[in-house]
Amino acid sequence: MLYAPNRPMSEVDLSLLWSAVALLAIGFVMVYSASIATAEMSRLTGFRSHYYLIRQGMFIAIGVVAAVIAFQIPVAWLQRGAPFLFLACILTLLLVLIPGVGVTVNGSRRWLPLGITNFQPSELMKLAVVLYAADYTVRKAAFMQDFKRGFLPMFGVMFLAGGLLLMQPDFGAFVVITTIAMGILFLGGLNWRLFAGLIMLLLCAFVALILLSPYRLQRVLGFMDPWADAYGKGYQLSHSLIAFGRGEWFGVGLGASVEKLFYLPEAHTDFLMAVIAEELGLLGVLAVVALFVWLVWRAFLVGRQSASLERYFAALVAQGIALWLSVQTFINMGVNMGLLPTKGLTLPFLSYGGTGIVINCVAVAVLLRIDYENRALMRGRRA
Amino acid sequence: MNHASTRVNPALQLKLQGWRARLLIILLLTGFATLAARAFYLQGLNTEFLQAKGEARFTRVVEMPASRGPILDRNGVPLAISTPVESIWISPSEAELTADQKKQLGRALGMELKEIDAKLADEDKTFVWLKRQISPEQAAKAMALKIPGVFQQREFRRFYPQGEVMAHVIGFTGVDDNGQEGIELAQQRQLAGQPGSRRVIKDRRGRIVEDIQHLRAPRDGSPLTLSIDHKLQYIAHKELKDAVAANRAKGGAAVVLDAQTGEVLALVNQPDYNPNNRATMKGGQTRNRSVTDVFEPGSTFKPFAVAAALEAGTVKRDTLFQTGSTWQLGPNTITDAHPRDAMTVAEIIQKSSNIGTAKLALQLPAEKLWTLYSELGFGTPPRTGFPGEATGKLRAWKTWKPIEQATMSYGYGLNVSLLQLARAYTLFTNNGQLLPVTFQKRDSLPIGRQILKPATAEMMSAMLETVVQPGGTATKGQVPGYRLAGKTGTARKLVNGRYVDDQHVAFFCGYGPVSDPRFIIAVSIDEPGAGKYYGGDVAAPVFAGIMAGALRNANVPPDAETSGILRRATVDSAPSPPTPSPRAELVSVQVAKGAGPSPRLR
Repeated sequence: MLYAPNRPMSEVDLSLLWSAVALLAIGFVMVYSASIATAEMSRLTGFRSHYYLIRQGMFIAIGVVAAVIAFQIPVAWLQRGAPFLFLACILTLLLVLIPGVGVTVNGSRRWLPLGITNFQPSELMKLAVVLYAADYTVRKAAFMQDFKRGFLPMFGVMFLAGGLLLMQPDFGAFVVITTIAMGILFLGGLNWRLFAGLIMLLLCAFVALILLSPYRLQRVLGFMDPWADAYGKGYQLSHSLIAFGRGEWFGVGLGASVEKLFYLPEAHTDFLMAVIAEELGLLGVLAVVALFVWLVWRAFLVGRQSASLERYFAALVAQGIALWLSVQTFINMGVNMGLLPTKGLTLPFLSYGGTGIVINCVAVAVLLRIDYENRALMRGRRA
Repeated sequence: MNHASTRVNPALQLKLQGWRARLLIILLLTGFATLAARAFYLQGLNTEFLQAKGEARFTRVVEMPASRGPILDRNGVPLAISTPVESIWISPSEAELTADQKKQLGRALGMELKEIDAKLADEDKTFVWLKRQISPEQAAKAMALKIPGVFQQREFRRFYPQGEVMAHVIGFTGVDDNGQEGIELAQQRQLAGQPGSRRVIKDRRGRIVEDIQHLRAPRDGSPLTLSIDHKLQYIAHKELKDAVAANRAKGGAAVVLDAQTGEVLALVNQPDYNPNNRATMKGGQTRNRSVTDVFEPGSTFKPFAVAAALEAGTVKRDTLFQTGSTWQLGPNTITDAHPRDAMTVAEIIQKSSNIGTAKLALQLPAEKLWTLYSELGFGTPPRTGFPGEATGKLRAWKTWKPIEQATMSYGYGLNVSLLQLARAYTLFTNNGQLLPVTFQKRDSLPIGRQILKPATAEMMSAMLETVVQPGGTATKGQVPGYRLAGKTGTARKLVNGRYVDDQHVAFFCGYGPVSDPRFIIAVSIDEPGAGKYYGGDVAAPVFAGIMAGALRNANVPPDAETSGILRRATVDSAPSPPTPSPRAELVSVQVAKGAGPSPRLR
């Protein structure tokens, strides 16, 4: 740290905050760029080119307000409230599935109508799982070596939540919350043999899949060669890859993407990264990746700091959030780059989407709150 | 106790092991590194492949339409021009039209709802014409609806300002702007523009986003100047149309040639059609009968047999032939319509005697006649480049029987097109030279082919002049003030291999003014049905009408004393050489410009 005697140590990790702000800002601009052509030509938007820009701006504003509020909540309250929040999320996930209540888009029932916009419970569920799993791990610390009392209850709860998500269906969210829950249990000291066993189990299932139904495997692995069926199943991915290829080192320039001109579906949501890659090039992609790495790295450091202060819940929450954001980012980008099969999952902070943006802002606020309390403790104040 | 302490202070039991967090962060960073590496591969290494794939999807080579060259008459009056129009097309796979939009679109384009539905039926298609070649205003109305998947494309539409008057000469183009008939077809290569092309990036809805490369600049078609004079064409069209109507004829045709250059100045056919309105077109109407159809020329052919005899020296102008009303040639009987006991060669022409012509022709070897006929272009296409030019039929002389040699001399047993016939008359207007004919304006005088001695041609001309004079078969072919010459013809039609008595084709082929010929006009009237059917009654007045208009239009000074027609007629039919008359002064300007004073006057 630089020697700055006249400047007091800041109250929170500013670099973490700024990396999140930078990602939001990039997303704001790129959502506009990616959506302008489709918005202008769509009846859904009333042919207004600013439609998505204005709404994304609104979401960010709401997100900032929500973050400011969330920052006021002491971590201890979060721990106490975690099970209730989780329960509430389960209830909203049930609510979504009720026909007539949940809103269906593209065959998935994922949204609850909320007046001018829709609320997506699965996004809130991600934060709720972080908090709940952290609280669970702290509560069940004594049984972390115990399969029946340490692992199984969590497994059961996640089975319920995951099942509800798969019924929407929202496979992406399912993978994210499962990873969060497993990751926090792992960090909390769950018997590593159990994990080894789980991984073995997954491998066996995979092999069984190959042996039992090769065609199903084919479908799962279809993403590996999008050019085989470039105008059918590989359509979206092939256009995403073309966008990356067109971008080269420095991109075709902001606003100059061709792929966003009706070729690449979901350019402003799930495939925003492809538009970034095309318009801003490898430079832009690496900048976004670097910002995420920095954010995740700082979040882990906050977690480490909490652990060393023996604030175990806070530590697990911070690392859980880091895990969540990394996994979601990795999956989204991986899908965009053809590393993973295409699954609908947004890019945190960047993709267009109301609930996602607000919850991501709240997540950052929670990280900052933990850091704030850590620093206060280190200064000798009480949290 | 253990249990209780856990509840009191669970953190005591929790030892967050550093290696687990380290392992996790390493895994995550590995993940991000993988992304970075993958991005590097896609954006730094594999770009060529991906960009090629991209190009295949959104770069297109689009045509830049070139306009077709205009067709002008000899004075630069436009006969065919290309005007920009719009065509509306739709991509059924993209367009999702509401019932309301369909209604609006139908109203804008003047289409039935059913029509639109039919066009949209195949939803896999990405290109269907909705309406082609509409006015830019109408297209703007349709595009103002802003219906996704509906596009417009600039095209050129051919417009024929002269309508049916020029129809048979110009022909027309198809919807794809290629010539289908007439000059439009004949000169397709010169008229057609070379569309340019450029490579562009299109968005998925087919709109051009970016120009990448100009591959070829569009080249507009070259203008084409025809030999046609639109005023003459108009006059010919009107005269012919009126005559066909008055005679209740099945059809008719007229060709006007420049007597000095062989240029086609006017060419009309009846029935006609309006090339601007394809809906009214029927197959037969579009045929340019004067070029593509052949007929037995009848008596209009006689001058050639007579010329051959004069040229060979077997007869002279005043050689007498026994004619009468019938003549038995083997089993066949040849008859005359205007019988006399005996006629001079001049009278044979004037009275159009079949018997006289036949006798005179039979004095010549078949080969000699055949040579002249074929030198005149009968049996070979006139090579004007006009599509579908008829060749006509002229059988090899070795196969001729005497009766055939006889009938051919008065125009039966061979066939020709009206254009071929008119062209052959250039012999008499050019001192025995045959001129090539053309539909394109000539910059210089063509080189003719000397076929008759000038003196023979001169003699023929004098005889032909008597045809329109009192005592001739075509007194109705006279235009006061001018010396005209020509020959009538009335051919019975062949129906199922037999000549019938009630279906005729009436002809007149002539030229004028005789002192310095300017125009050759050939007229045919097909199946006149109002009682009269002789060429002198039906076709000659059309000739006179067109000739009068043409002479007036060209400000040709009269070469005959208006009051002296009768007197001159007697003078000309007299065997002695005529004395120069005051009209020589009258035509001096004309003479100086033309081929010099006609030898007959000297």
